[in-house]
Amino acid sequence: MYKWFLAWRYLHTKLIAFFGIASVSLCVAMVLVVMSVMGGFLDTIRERSRGLHSEILLETSSLQGFPFYGEFQEYLADHHADTVSMTTPVIYTYGIFRVPATKYTRPARVVGMRLNEYTQLNDFKQGLHYEHYFPGTTHLGPQRMPVGGIDANQRLVLPKDLEAANARWRESETDVEKKKNYEANPYEMAIYPPYVTTPIYGERVYAFGDDGPGYVGPKNSGVIIGCDMLNERRDDGDFDRFLARGADIAVTLMPISPGGNVTGEPPVRLPLRYVDDSRTGIYEIDDLCIYVDFDMLQHKLAMDPQALADGGMSRARINQMLIGLHDGTDLETGKAVVSAAWEKFLDSLGNKPSLMDVNMLNHTSVMTWEDMQRPFIQAVEKEKVLVTLLFSLISLVAMALVGCVFYMIVEKKTRDIGILKAIGASARGVAGLFVAYALAVGICGAILGTGLGVVFVWNINDIQSFLASLNPQLRVWSPEVYSFDKIPEIVKTWDAIGVAVVAVLASVAGSIIPATIAGRIWPVKALRYE
Amino acid sequence: MLRAYDLYKAYKMGKASVEVLSGVSLSAKASEFLVILGSSGSGKSTLLHLLGALDIPDKGDVEFQGKSVFQRAKKSRENYRNRDVGFVFQFYHLLPELTVLENVIIPRLIGTPALKWLSHRREAKKEALAMLDRVGLSHRVKHRPNELSGGERQRVAIARALINKPTLLLADEPTGNLDEKIGAEILDLLSEFNSAGQTIIMVTHDARVAVRAHRQVRLVGGKIEKVVPAQPSPALA
Ligand SMILES: Nc1ncnc2c1ncn2[C@@H]1O[C@H](COP(=O)(O)OP(=O)(O)OP(=O)(O)O)[C@@H](O)[C@H]1O
Ligand SMILES: [Mg+2]
Repeated sequence: MYKWFLAWRYLHTKLIAFFGIASVSLCVAMVLVVMSVMGGFLDTIRERSRGLHSEILLETSSLQGFPFYGEFQEYLADHHADTVSMTTPVIYTYGIFRVPATKYTRPARVVGMRLNEYTQLNDFKQGLHYEHYFPGTTHLGPQRMPVGGIDANQRLVLPKDLEAANARWRESETDVEKKKNYEANPYEMAIYPPYVTTPIYGERVYAFGDDGPGYVGPKNSGVIIGCDMLNERRDDGDFDRFLARGADIAVTLMPISPGGNVTGEPPVRLPLRYVDDSRTGIYEIDDLCIYVDFDMLQHKLAMDPQALADGGMSRARINQMLIGLHDGTDLETGKAVVSAAWEKFLDSLGNKPSLMDVNMLNHTSVMTWEDMQRPFIQAVEKEKVLVTLLFSLISLVAMALVGCVFYMIVEKKTRDIGILKAIGASARGVAGLFVAYALAVGICGAILGTGLGVVFVWNINDIQSFLASLNPQLRVWSPEVYSFDKIPEIVKTWDAIGVAVVAVLASVAGSIIPATIAGRIWPVKALRYE
Repeated sequence: MLRAYDLYKAYKMGKASVEVLSGVSLSAKASEFLVILGSSGSGKSTLLHLLGALDIPDKGDVEFQGKSVFQRAKKSRENYRNRDVGFVFQFYHLLPELTVLENVIIPRLIGTPALKWLSHRREAKKEALAMLDRVGLSHRVKHRPNELSGGERQRVAIARALINKPTLLLADEPTGNLDEKIGAEILDLLSEFNSAGQTIIMVTHDARVAVRAHRQVRLVGGKIEKVVPAQPSPALA
């Protein structure tokens, strides 16, 4: 009993206790902040990765793709309709991306997709910018450039179908704030002609001409562009768009033969029309990928059936098949079903595949979205473990500090310990007093530190903005790199509890040596002199 | 009631060993006021510490109510310090963080198991207040030791030593740090407790203080040298 009483008394009469509490709470706060931010980062990445593809993917590791996909789609529909909800083919290739108006060039990963199928399998649609404000107007087929005219109030007016689509959005939008923002600045304008320039830019950019709203230019296939390829991200996470919707884009491709040889002579040049930008939230994707129509791309890359020298036809190829599962189907079960189906399907082909086909099919594998993103997620996971570990090590230093603080207290309190022993306290009791004291310091520190950490994490973006306002160098979270608008602001209850408990245990552990020393103090030695 | 047999105690100082006690035997009867006289450095404190089990003799033993003190289990020796003897030091040795009242209660708190304390708390507080009243400090219960004078501190120390109603009170030069007048007051207080039946063994180098005792012994050369029969106190005469 007396140990609690004295521990309590020492806690609020000894200044030195506050150093102990301060070091524990700072450590707790530090580790909690790191865990929360890294954990939030990881969760966001995982969440976004889930929406990136589809539950199951049939992939090839080789760029020339693989044949027999159509037959396999039919096979799945016939035999596994209870597991597989939907499939869609995808083509991946690389090309040179160019904006003729600004002579801006970049490398790009070109994705051929059937937009209406693709968007049913994942979250791609949620990341489309113009599709959000003008629902139903983004498509990858041939199209001309929409231009606006100026009305009597000097406001931009778009072609009727776009205005109608926009009105539909306004009716269905439930977020009042969002609507108000939009009304304040309905469509930013880019001046066109002469083509696309930069004097005016904003979040929604349309070109305008002198003849009133309408469509101009030749019909080109649409292209959706990763939002980080063209646009500049502001510190608040939104984008400044420079290029008008419908601007001309040129992409140069190099077709690859079934044998893996680059065939195109000269390279294929695709005239495209910018219809939308896509934001998946993964910077590595949004800074590299552009999306075009599947059939158009397949044809341009000569991945559709081609006449062979012997009079036969080659088979159509794709690079990836997205396979959706019915709701509630377990991911691994789904993967097992599809893998088995793929094996069985390949067996059933007999000697239909040519040698070239067999070679291509050998490079295929069935994966889940988790398998697909694992290297990326794992890298972040490792980063989280590493950073947490590093900070825990720093915390160990602080725990040593708690040990030092206690050692100093024991040294200073030697006489008092002698007195306690002289009036009958046991070695255990005295040691217990210091352990109780450490426990109290640990608990106070943990509570304080958790509070501090939570408040810090909840306001981490404000803190960062404040620091950045002092000196731009202090902006540590760069939205361009992380592709997140904000630093994660969530503290998980179990993280907080875990860190607090470990801190309490650690400070108790730190006190054990000084407590043992205190317990061993011999009463007369401590009492002899004043 | 208390008997010390042939106590030896030496301190090692580097390679040399200084023998402070070389065969001290002593006994005290119940309700006796015994004074151990001796010049400074003669080993009085050492002896008193052995009697109070604050230290362990190299040889010999102390018997309390017929039972050896140094052959007991550790736990039992702690109980001996807590309940059977009370100790008053020359330098008071109060706990600076605690109030006067808390300083007096602490031996009781140490001696009571946590669960029992909850029901015992009020009673203990009442007893401590009564004890402070007896030493004349009832108006100082909320003060910290550093707000008290030396004489007041020693009164608190006496109250603390007696709170558990020990059979034996050991006092190590309780007046050594006080001026004559205040010292005399402390001695009066001790005499008062003694008249009420409290056994006291007190150590001093001051012959004037020793006259309060029923009996005096002198510690010379590590041995009890002579036994002085009780004399009436000049102050009382
Ligand atoms: N821990 C120790 N180590 C070494 N020597 C010690 C120790 N404690 C006491 N001594 C020595 O033992 C001798 C007796 O000490 P003690 O304190 O018992 O004397 P005392 O009679 O109480 O003296 P005083 O009247 O000054 O209090 C002294 O010479 C002292 O220096
Ligand atoms: Mg002494």
